[in-house]
Amino acid sequence: MNSVHKDCANYTAVDVFKGHCRRLKEIKMADETGCECFTPARMCKFCSHYTSREEFLGLCMEHAVVYPDLPAKTCADFLRKSDG
Amino acid sequence: MATTKNIPENTANAPANLSPLNCYGTPPEAITRREINREPTPRAKRIRDLYFDTKSSTSVEFPYWYTRRWMELEGEIPIIRRAEALKCAFSRLTPSIFPEELLVMGKTNYLRGSYPMPWLSESYFMAAEDKMYQEAVKAGKLSADTVTKWGKGGGNVTQSAGNVLSIAGKFGLRKEELPMLMEIARMWKDQSVEDVGHKYEQLVPGYKTKEAIMRSVICMFDSGYTLPQGREVINYYYPLQYGIDGIIEFCRKQTEAVAGYPDMDRLYFYQAVIIAMEGIRQWFLNYAAEAKELSRTETDAAQKKEYDAIAERMEWLSSKPPRDFHDALQMCWSYHVAVLNEDCISGLSPGRLGQVLYPWWKKDMDEKKLTRERTIELLECMRMKFTELDCFASMGVVGGVLSGNTFNNLCLGGLTKDGQDASNELELLLLETGMSCATPQPTLSVLYDEKTSEELLMKAVECTKIGTGYPAWVSNQTALNFIMKNYAAEGMTVEEARAWSIGGCLETSAGSWMPLTLSGNGRTYYIPGGSGPATSVGVHFVSTPKILELVLFDGVDQRTKERVFPPHGFALNTYQEVWEAFQKYFSETVKVLCLCNNIQHDAWRKITPPVINSMLKPDCLNKGKDIGQMGSRYNATFNIEVCGSVNLVNALASLKKNVYEERHFTLDELKTALTNNFGFQTAEETGSYSLTEQKKTGDYMKWASVHSRCLQAPKYGNDDPYADDIFKTWEQWFCAMCHDYKSLYDREMYACQISVSTHGAMGAVTMATPDGRLAGTTFADGSVSAYPGTDTNGPYALFNSATCWDHSASQNSQLNMKIHPSVVKGREGSRKFLELIRSYLRKGGFHVQFNIVDSRMLRDAQANPDKYRGLLVRVAGFTQYWVELGKPIQDEVIARTEYEEL
Repeated sequence: MNSVHKDCANYTAVDVFKGHCRRLKEIKMADETGCECFTPARMCKFCSHYTSREEFLGLCMEHAVVYPDLPAKTCADFLRKSDG
Repeated sequence: MATTKNIPENTANAPANLSPLNCYGTPPEAITRREINREPTPRAKRIRDLYFDTKSSTSVEFPYWYTRRWMELEGEIPIIRRAEALKCAFSRLTPSIFPEELLVMGKTNYLRGSYPMPWLSESYFMAAEDKMYQEAVKAGKLSADTVTKWGKGGGNVTQSAGNVLSIAGKFGLRKEELPMLMEIARMWKDQSVEDVGHKYEQLVPGYKTKEAIMRSVICMFDSGYTLPQGREVINYYYPLQYGIDGIIEFCRKQTEAVAGYPDMDRLYFYQAVIIAMEGIRQWFLNYAAEAKELSRTETDAAQKKEYDAIAERMEWLSSKPPRDFHDALQMCWSYHVAVLNEDCISGLSPGRLGQVLYPWWKKDMDEKKLTRERTIELLECMRMKFTELDCFASMGVVGGVLSGNTFNNLCLGGLTKDGQDASNELELLLLETGMSCATPQPTLSVLYDEKTSEELLMKAVECTKIGTGYPAWVSNQTALNFIMKNYAAEGMTVEEARAWSIGGCLETSAGSWMPLTLSGNGRTYYIPGGSGPATSVGVHFVSTPKILELVLFDGVDQRTKERVFPPHGFALNTYQEVWEAFQKYFSETVKVLCLCNNIQHDAWRKITPPVINSMLKPDCLNKGKDIGQMGSRYNATFNIEVCGSVNLVNALASLKKNVYEERHFTLDELKTALTNNFGFQTAEETGSYSLTEQKKTGDYMKWASVHSRCLQAPKYGNDDPYADDIFKTWEQWFCAMCHDYKSLYDREMYACQISVSTHGAMGAVTMATPDGRLAGTTFADGSVSAYPGTDTNGPYALFNSATCWDHSASQNSQLNMKIHPSVVKGREGSRKFLELIRSYLRKGGFHVQFNIVDSRMLRDAQANPDKYRGLLVRVAGFTQYWVELGKPIQDEVIARTEYEEL
């Protein structure tokens, strides 16, 4: 797992470079390695319905093209991968 | 009388080795700061600090879900398909709530987020991948992009870095999202508004000329697929009065009434509104859920309480109308974002928001549920939300036309339905927060009427003095005259005309009074709101100096060497022939652009009919028709927009005087001088775009005499009948000829005269002009602003020139002035300033606005942008952060004549 801040459930993106860590209440750079409290966010790449097809593209439930970093906070079908 | 002077080069504190500045009078020795400086509340300051450190970011999330749902529904009725796609996208949009926000919701999950709409135009993205870029250039589609330069600072992502790609030097996109964006773009190929419109516009006779016009940048852009809506006033009435439940219930009843009866489009419209509202409801609920989740993990008690309040409010508003001022403000903001997410829109104005919200505010204040301090905090938070808005469009449009601005104009004053002063205490607080939390959005405008309260006017003067560039000052009476001229045929009355407001930076827009009944006190208030669709549509923007260039060179563009028009057939032996040839080329331009534009907008209304904005605009809900089917109460909103008119007029004056009357040189000699840029380097070579900073070549003396005569020829802005008569002739002809062309809705078009930022981009592609302006330099801004340094007789002479024609014949006129802060200092300065403004508006001027700034400070800011992240300046109809402006516009603002005395 690529545990960088932007993939953490505690991270709220402010812009494409950085975000706000709700836990630590400070700004973190998106691509820097996450801390020991890292918790995977709800994103397609952490969902068991997601299968990777090529870099940055995959399938949702084997039929819809999707990208791994698509947020899934509002997805009722999100099912966390056992390793996610 | 003072005369225009140049500031000495080595003035105290001013950088040395700079060319002189244009001044009327003598400036103080030292750089003068603005008199008034205010600070926002601590909460708003922290939110603004975060904004200052935030980059413009784009997300694929909304277009992904929109496209996915759209593709699933092939064969469905278009407006239903569209509503389902919108519902899916709104329902899925990730909610983000940032610390200390009192108002929530944004276009994307980013603080300053935006996204492309490939259903309107996808070629921009495809161009990055395959040969479409060259094909697009060949078709004239992207030629404006190639001449647009972005500001380097502020929130623009000017370069790709790490995992972030820079798009158009402005928007940042995460690298992980690029393949999906390209997938989506491919899905829309041949289906987007741009592609479908392009397919059919080629059937217009003279289409090849249209292509040449676009390549030549005589016209800046096609509005049909770039900015199909906007420069209009939103109407918040229905959600405020009925809430989502009430709107859905109304549509259900209407569905039963129209199902199976003729005019079946009504059925689909009502169903589309229901579907879209279900999406909006879920969007609200997602924010409520997010607030609850944040509250669950929050350790700070005060912040936790605020999250709980947000959750409760969003849940309530997901179905019901607002209960109090905070609810109502949140509701207005939410629908503002909803409409901006529906379409690519520039200039969705909240209109007379202080009058719309006043009933709730007054009730809360009377009941001691709200304080002045809390109101200020809420209004500052509102300013930040509007400032966070970004509009994703192509480089040529966002950079060259808009300077990254989104033009949300909030208007104050004007008259009530029964003709009384409409200003109120809440509007005073809107001005107060415009000062304390100085940000570009929403910009403010005062609808000046002789009945407007002195208290509001003096507060507005105080706000203007702070140097934010707002409020703009607009004549209520001139606007009413324009509204009646253009909308009486659609049933407009004098009473209803009073509901007008500014849409976008300066577009006079028709409104209506809607009866609002407040639960709790049972009183009915008539609130103003927009009742006409976009005025960003039509022929936008036509460069008049460029057309004159083509007249002088018989139809051939001197930059591209391409023939744009067939030979005009005039020998140009007289001034009259020059004028007639100009009229001919200008008319040809308008005709072909108008026809092509109508086709593009027809494609827009068929492929992406507006559902949410239609629901809001009276009388779409009552008629069962969307905006594209003329559901709005007033539909004559297409216009013809020009740029560079003052340079055109000055150039014509020079031609008339120097070539045809006094015969100082022949037309051929002048053309040779123009071709050689009067012996100067080009603006691109010097890297500066103002006339005052150009460098001579070794051949300068060859053309010095001709150039000198051109510069000395009569100039607009000096109360000189020679130039002003030409100006009047141009304005009268132009305003009248617009009515010869008809919009998609079979309504006559009208004149629109604002420059936005096109005077920079269009000046950049225009050769030297007979008024002495050098190649590539920026045109005069606005439409009645003098060319920098040429208004030598003072402000009142400028006013006389500007009002030599009837401003109510046009949707607008635009006058920008730069005044040194020392001139309007103190209470006496404020009084003098108000009298100056009054005198212009009483003479029939429609609009005037000011930069209260020392030009030397702007130069310092240009050299040291890091020191000036928060510096605001007025450009044309908008205020923008200095560091986010392109250099051509920065140079032009510096070059404007600075008045040292009034």
